[in-house]
Amino acid sequence: MAINKAVLPDTDRNLEKLYEEFVTRARALGAEVYRVPNLAQARELVGRLIQEMGVRKVALAESPLVTALDLATAVAGAGAEVTGGNPRERAEAADLGISSFEMAIAETGTLVQDATEINRRLVSMLPPVHLALVPTNRLVGTLQEAINSLAARGQIPGYLAFVSGPSRTADIERVLTIGVHGPGKVVIIFVDGGGSAGE
Amino acid sequence: MSKTALRQATREALANASVCSALGRFADNYVIAREQAYRHKDFEGLRREVARIKREAAERMEELADQFTREATRRGATVFRAATAQDAREYIARLARSRGIKTIVKSKSMASEEIHLNEYLKEQGLDAVETDLGEWIIQLSSQRPSHMVMPAIHLSRNEVAEIFSKEIGEPVEPDISSMVKLARRELRKKFLSAWMGISGGNIAVAETGTIVMVTNEGNGRLTTTLPPVHVIIVGLEKLVPRFTDVAPILEVLPRSATAQHITTYVTMITGAVPAVDPDGNYHEKKELHIILLDNGRTRMAGDPVFKEALQCVRCAACLNVCPIYQLVGGVFGDVYTGGIGTVLTAFFTDPQKAQQVQNLCLGCERCRDYCSGNIDLPGLIGELRRRTVEKEGMSYVQRVIFEKVLVNRGVFHRLLKAASRLQKPFTREGKIRHLPLFLAGLTEGRSLPAIAEIPFRERVDRLPRPGRVTDRVAFFSGCLVDFVYPGIGESVAKVLASLGFEMLCPEGQTCCGYPARQVGLTDSFAELARQNIAAFENINAGYVLTACPTCAEALKFLYPQLLADDPVWSKRARALAEKVTDFSSFVFAHREKLVPFMIPLKQKVTYHDSCHLKRRLRVTGEPRQLLIDAGAELVEMTPADLCCGFGGSYSIKFPELSRSVLDRKLQAVLGSGAEVVALDCPGCQMQISGGLDHERRPMRVMHTAEILASCLAGTAQAQDGKNN
Repeated sequence: MAINKAVLPDTDRNLEKLYEEFVTRARALGAEVYRVPNLAQARELVGRLIQEMGVRKVALAESPLVTALDLATAVAGAGAEVTGGNPRERAEAADLGISSFEMAIAETGTLVQDATEINRRLVSMLPPVHLALVPTNRLVGTLQEAINSLAARGQIPGYLAFVSGPSRTADIERVLTIGVHGPGKVVIIFVDGGGSAGE
Repeated sequence: MSKTALRQATREALANASVCSALGRFADNYVIAREQAYRHKDFEGLRREVARIKREAAERMEELADQFTREATRRGATVFRAATAQDAREYIARLARSRGIKTIVKSKSMASEEIHLNEYLKEQGLDAVETDLGEWIIQLSSQRPSHMVMPAIHLSRNEVAEIFSKEIGEPVEPDISSMVKLARRELRKKFLSAWMGISGGNIAVAETGTIVMVTNEGNGRLTTTLPPVHVIIVGLEKLVPRFTDVAPILEVLPRSATAQHITTYVTMITGAVPAVDPDGNYHEKKELHIILLDNGRTRMAGDPVFKEALQCVRCAACLNVCPIYQLVGGVFGDVYTGGIGTVLTAFFTDPQKAQQVQNLCLGCERCRDYCSGNIDLPGLIGELRRRTVEKEGMSYVQRVIFEKVLVNRGVFHRLLKAASRLQKPFTREGKIRHLPLFLAGLTEGRSLPAIAEIPFRERVDRLPRPGRVTDRVAFFSGCLVDFVYPGIGESVAKVLASLGFEMLCPEGQTCCGYPARQVGLTDSFAELARQNIAAFENINAGYVLTACPTCAEALKFLYPQLLADDPVWSKRARALAEKVTDFSSFVFAHREKLVPFMIPLKQKVTYHDSCHLKRRLRVTGEPRQLLIDAGAELVEMTPADLCCGFGGSYSIKFPELSRSVLDRKLQAVLGSGAEVVALDCPGCQMQISGGLDHERRPMRVMHTAEILASCLAGTAQAQDGKNN
């Protein structure tokens, strides 16, 4: 996506810098990172990734962004199905879980989610692949900023999840191995304009 | 645990190749990776901040526990204050029974290890499965974790494959990736059927009632998400006052623990949240129980010295950089291991064992530089040792040596002269290669230098003097220079003479007392301190120089500390301390006067950083520059600052360990390709040259003073070991 950086206002230029830093860190941790300019293209990309990864069953955790993207339709359009049953069964049966995050931290390549709602936790942990959506304008520079911003909000959410890349272990002979308990693959899509989607 | 049992355990650990190699491999990479993780971060600033937060929390422990309880309760949690391990264990078993729960999953919790929860639950007929990969392996093989962060680091992939084979009843290939998949498959079943999850916590925020957990595998998130009942066990030392206090701790913890910028998952739980149980029923609020564990922590908070240990964030950096831990792993400690583990053992799990285990500390002080909580760990272990001796006493022979011989200069020196004569049958070319009977361990893997026939103190009248005296410097020789390496003292005098300094050697000086401190005999140490302070008090010199960093540490840092409460001696101790400097720093300050006189050495020299010079006196660049000035081609060994394993009386107490640390050092030394090893400490010189001599390596080991002296006109090159 070509953006002419010379004509960007300062805040946007800062956002570009944060985005670049995030991408470098998150890729170093083994995450895949994409960015799309609007909701329509986000929907399209989700459909394409589902096809490319050969995903058959998808578990969705509702959120304003997920709703705004009408992902159920996108999943069906890509030839996959949204799983059924109780929340555990839905997540456990899926090849892919999709949820949205509220914040991204550039210096560590971290996504932050209010995961109080149980579906968000289940779809981001049980399936082997997780697709995380995050509005681009929710990027902050540092962990310190993220903590301060959470502290300033007043009541701390019941379950806050900070996620940086795929699940990993080095417990046997210090050899790094991906995907031990949580997803072995994490795909992140930054959605420009996603922050105004009722979040 | 007895002394003999401890020795036996260290021998077995040394013989276990997978302990040594896994830990050693990790330790080598750790320092470099950690350095990278801290790039663009101010570690010193961060750890001061962490220390400030944790110190405040320790002082307000009771108040913060109350505040935490109120806030967490308000958010729907049940908080239980457990005074003892037994209280905590019983609470959990009772809870499980009252809910009819049989299946439990656990994510990693050192507090649960501390209270030996698994064994207890098993006795109670409850099936609690560890889900952290390392912990699961440990549980399946009925062992205990050897490292706070990497519990199964002592096991090889083959050993893990065997353990897994037994568990699933079919052969398992020792392939790490497929074994991880096996663990995922097996443990997923456990997660989905468990009715209770037990986890630990890394931080407990009083202001909000929040528990923060850091994990990488995701088992922590599953443990805290799937079962409808969640129990968190968290020690009172994990409390912090404010939510914003979380940030600096999260900055240091993963960087220091595993050299990560952040762990894959950081989970913050505030009160009870929704859950779906194994039957598929939705619960608006799950049951959340938080056990605030005391078990010795308020006692620690009330201790004027050991309250500092509550600043620990359990990053285990002190284990990762410890040369002894790298060799013996979990033997160094109990539930908690390594340096901090020794202190925690004394307060939380097994005070008797701690009294033995503290002996394993080599005193290299490396851990202090890496501590995320800015704890003076060597100081705490020293205090543990002092209290152990105070309480348990010391063997008669040891006591006589320190209290009767060492503090009496005349007796001490006569004894050494006698030893110099007695050693003759064992001495060849100034080295002792074998000693009989119980002394044999001393020469195991290393030769010892012979005690000099004429000690330095009897050579002072013949020392080189400057042509024209511009100033005077007093010299503190210390035992090793005095009785083993008098040549170092002569070299110092020669270098000083060329700079125009006359060297004064006050007659009343004696042992610096460090060995007495090392064995916990504070009174003997103080007596020697007073003798030395008095000896140097009326000397007309602006500087007191020493060629031994351990002596320098004693004179400069430990005497003022030791005598701080003495109205008369504290001032005198400080006056001496201000004048004390090490040889290389002093000469470095005058190097422009020295350079013109030097005949270039033109040899490859590698420099060994002595622990006390680097970590107490903060001197690393000065001797290196002097060597370059002397025309040496400086080649660095890696790591240059790894301890040589001498540690004073340590090499007598644990000869095998001392030798194994030395082996690692020799690898570094020989790998450098240098012809000469330069150093600034006669103790390290004795150890390293002894090791090289034993290996029949022709490399020379020289004090920086000897090298500089050899480059000054009118001298042939000084030869190592030809000091007599």
